[in-house]
Amino acid sequence: MAAELTTTKLNAESHLQLDQPLLRLPHELVRRNFKTSQRYVEREKEYLLPALKDSANASLVSPNTPEQTLASLDAMISRMQNFKRKLQTLHDEEQAIQAQSAKRIQHLQDLYDIPSLADVKYDEWSRIRLDRLLVDYLLRAGYSKSGERLAKEKGIEDLVDLDVFVQCQKIADSLNHGETKEALIWCSENRTTLKKLGQNNLEFELRLQQYIEMIRSRVPAKFLEATLHARKYLVPYQATHNEEICRASALLAYSPENFDAMPEAYKEMYSHTRWHHLSTLFISTHHTLISLPTRPLLHIALSAGLSALKTPACHSAYASSSSNSHSTTTKVCPICSTELNELARNVPYAHHTKSYVESDPIVLPNGRIYGRARLEDLQRKLVGGVGEVSGADVRDPTTGEVFKWEEVKKVYIS
Amino acid sequence: MDAVQKEHDRLWKRSKSSNTLDCAQQIIDALQNARDAIAAEPTSATVSLAKLHNPVKGSFDAINASLKEIYGGHNKYTKVLDRLFKDKPLPSNEIDALSSHPALVHRAIYLHLLREGLFDVATTLHAESTAISSMLEEKAVLGARDESTAAPLGIDETESNRMQEQFTSMYHILYELRENHNLRPAISWARDHTKALEIRGSNLEFELCRLQYVKLFLAEMEDASEQESSTGPQRALKYAREEFQAFSGRYLLELRQLAGAMAFCSNLEESPYQSIFDNHTAWDEVVASFTREFCALMELSADSPLYIAATAGAIALPTLLKLQNIMQQKRTEWTTENELPVEIPLPPSYQFHSIFVCPVSKEQTTDQNPPMMMPCGHVIAQESLHRLSKGGKFKCPYCPSESHPRDAKKVFL
Repeated sequence: MAAELTTTKLNAESHLQLDQPLLRLPHELVRRNFKTSQRYVEREKEYLLPALKDSANASLVSPNTPEQTLASLDAMISRMQNFKRKLQTLHDEEQAIQAQSAKRIQHLQDLYDIPSLADVKYDEWSRIRLDRLLVDYLLRAGYSKSGERLAKEKGIEDLVDLDVFVQCQKIADSLNHGETKEALIWCSENRTTLKKLGQNNLEFELRLQQYIEMIRSRVPAKFLEATLHARKYLVPYQATHNEEICRASALLAYSPENFDAMPEAYKEMYSHTRWHHLSTLFISTHHTLISLPTRPLLHIALSAGLSALKTPACHSAYASSSSNSHSTTTKVCPICSTELNELARNVPYAHHTKSYVESDPIVLPNGRIYGRARLEDLQRKLVGGVGEVSGADVRDPTTGEVFKWEEVKKVYIS
Repeated sequence: MDAVQKEHDRLWKRSKSSNTLDCAQQIIDALQNARDAIAAEPTSATVSLAKLHNPVKGSFDAINASLKEIYGGHNKYTKVLDRLFKDKPLPSNEIDALSSHPALVHRAIYLHLLREGLFDVATTLHAESTAISSMLEEKAVLGARDESTAAPLGIDETESNRMQEQFTSMYHILYELRENHNLRPAISWARDHTKALEIRGSNLEFELCRLQYVKLFLAEMEDASEQESSTGPQRALKYAREEFQAFSGRYLLELRQLAGAMAFCSNLEESPYQSIFDNHTAWDEVVASFTREFCALMELSADSPLYIAATAGAIALPTLLKLQNIMQQKRTEWTTENELPVEIPLPPSYQFHSIFVCPVSKEQTTDQNPPMMMPCGHVIAQESLHRLSKGGKFKCPYCPSESHPRDAKKVFL
C-alpha cells in the first residue's frame, strides 16, 4: 500500500526548479562585465586612431615642434596604460565569476550523481540547498551581516551571491535615508539594459523625488532650479508619465506647511514614505535586471513543503496519536513543531486518497489508535523486565491513562 | 547538465586565454617605441606616427575579434542554460503563502539557526532585525504610520533568550559527547529531567549510564599504561554499585548482562557480551536519542522543521507546477480550498501522522468530521456514518454486522 503513497525516486532534471538563478545570475554578471569591456575597447579605439592621425598631421604641418608630438604621445601612452589596467580588472573579475560558476555547476552535477532521495548524500545536498535558500532570504530581507555570516559558517560563499545583494542593499539603504545619488549612478551605469527591458520608471521616480525635495525646501532660488531640473529630467518622460509631470508642476503651488489642507495626491508626493517606495522599486528593478526572481526562493520551497506535509491533524484540537511529543515512540511532526505551526495554519493540507496507519492497529477504551508493536514496545520500556508485559497494564502514550490489556480492541482501517 | 558543464568549460577556457590584454600591451609598446624613436630623432616624427596607425588598428581589430569569439561563447552558454531550464520556469508567485507573514518566517529561521547551533548567526540576525524594525518605527513616526514592531522576530525577548539558553546547553552536552566522549553533562541533564523522561517512556538515562559503564570497563584495555590503583572493570564495578541501584527494577536483564561481562574481562571478544561492548555506533545512537529527547521536551521535532519542509517543498514543486500549468490551460480552480488537489509522493521518512481516508466518502477526516469506529471495529468518517444510517440502524459497509450510530465511537489516529 505504501508504495503508491511514497517515493524515493530522485529525478535530478526536474529537481532543479529552484536552482535556475544559481547559474543564471553569474552568467548575467559575466555578460555585463563583457559589455563593459566592449564599451571600453570601442571608446579607446575611437579616441586613439583619430588622435594618432591628428598628431601625424600636426607634425606634418609644423615639423619643428617634436615636444608637442612627444607630449601628445605621452598622453596617449598613459591613457592606454589606464585602459589596460581597466581591462585587467575586468578580466580578473570575470575569471572569479567563472570559477564560481564552475563550482555551482559542479554542485548541481552532484545532484545528478545521487541515486535516491533516501540516500545520505541527498540529505547533505539538500542541507546545502537550505543554507543557500536561507542566505538568499536573509540578504533579500536586508540582513546582510546575518547572510554573510551564515554563508561563511557553512562555507558556501561560492554558491550564494553576497556581493550582488550587499551592493543592492547599500543602494536601497541610501534611498531609505533620503539619498538619490547612488541609485542614480546605478541607473546611468545600466541605462542601456534598463531601456531594453522597458524599465524607465525608476529613474523617473528618482528624478521626481529630487524635484520634490527642491520644492520642499521652499527657498525661492530653489524653485528656479527645480523648474530647470524638471525641464531637463522629467519632460523627456512625457510620453509615459504625463500625469505625474503635470502634478509635479502643480506641486509648486502647495506648501508642505499646509500639509493637512492638501489634496491627497499632493500629500502623497510630500510623504516620507515615498523614500521607502523608491527603495522597494529600486530592489525590484535591480532584481529584474539581473534575472533574479522577485520573491525569495525560500518562500516558494516552504509553502510547497508546508502543504505537502500538512495533515488535518496538524492543527487539530486533539493530540495526534501517531505523532506527538508525549512519548519516545513517535517523531514530532515538523508542521506541529513550534517553528512552523503558525505559518502552516493557512496553507492547504496534503491530499491523500488512501489511509496510512501503523500495521496491526488496536484501539484503547478512550478511542486512541496505536500500532500494536509500538504500544507493546513502550509498555516494555515502561514496565521493565522480561515477559512482564502480558497481564500488566497498558498506558496510553499520549494521554497517560492506564488501561488493562483485555480492554484493548482490534480496529480495522481500510 | 553535462552539456552545461562542457559549454561552460569551453567558455571559461576561451576567456582565460583571451589575448585582449596582450593586444593592449602591444599598443602601449608600439606607442612607446614610436615615442623613443621620435625623442631620438625628432625629424622622423611624421613617418613614425604614420607607421603607427596600422599596427595599432591591427591590435584593436585583434581585440575585437577575440571579444567577438567570447560573445559567441556567451550565446552558446545561454542557449544550453535555456535548454536546461526550458520546462522549469521560475515558480510564479501564486505558490507563496508566506509573504504575508514575514515575522513568522523570521522566527522560523531564527529558531532554525538556534537549533543548528549557529548561535553567532542567530545573534547577528536578532541584532539586525531589531535595528531594522527600530528604523522602520522611526519612519513610521515620521510618516505617521502605524506599524507594530514590538517583537521583530515574533518572539519576545525572554522567550528567545530561553530558547537560546536551552540550545546552548544542548550543544554543550552534544559537544562533550561527540568530541570528548564525556557523558557526565548528559547524565546530569537526564537526572534533572527524570520525571519528564519517565513519562515519555524514555530510557535515555539508562542508555547513558550503561555507556558510561562500558567506557569505564574498556578504559584500561585501550590505555594499558595508565597507572592507577584499580583496573577498568574494577572501576566499572564501582560505578555500577554507586549508580545502578535506581535501574534495578526496570533494566534487570541489561544489568545482569553488564555484570556478567565482568567474568569475561580477559577475553571479552569471545564472550556472549561482546556485542554490548564492541558497538561502534553506540556513541552516535546516544547522541541521536539525546537530541530527540531534548527537543521533544521543548515540544520541538528532532530534525529542523525548516529543513524537512524545504526539502519536501523541493520534492513537491514539480508536481505542483504541473498542476498549475494544467489549471491555467483549463482555466479551472481548486475546488477544495483546504486541500491540495493532487497527491504528492514523499519519501516514507516524511510521513509523520497516520492518515485516515474514509473508505465511503474518500475524504480525509478532520476535527469537524472525525473518524468513527463502529462496534464491529470498522472505521468510517462521521458524515458518512450519518449519511448511511439516516438516524436508524445500519449495516457496516465492510461486514454483515448492523449497528446504531450512537454505538459508534470517536477514535483518534
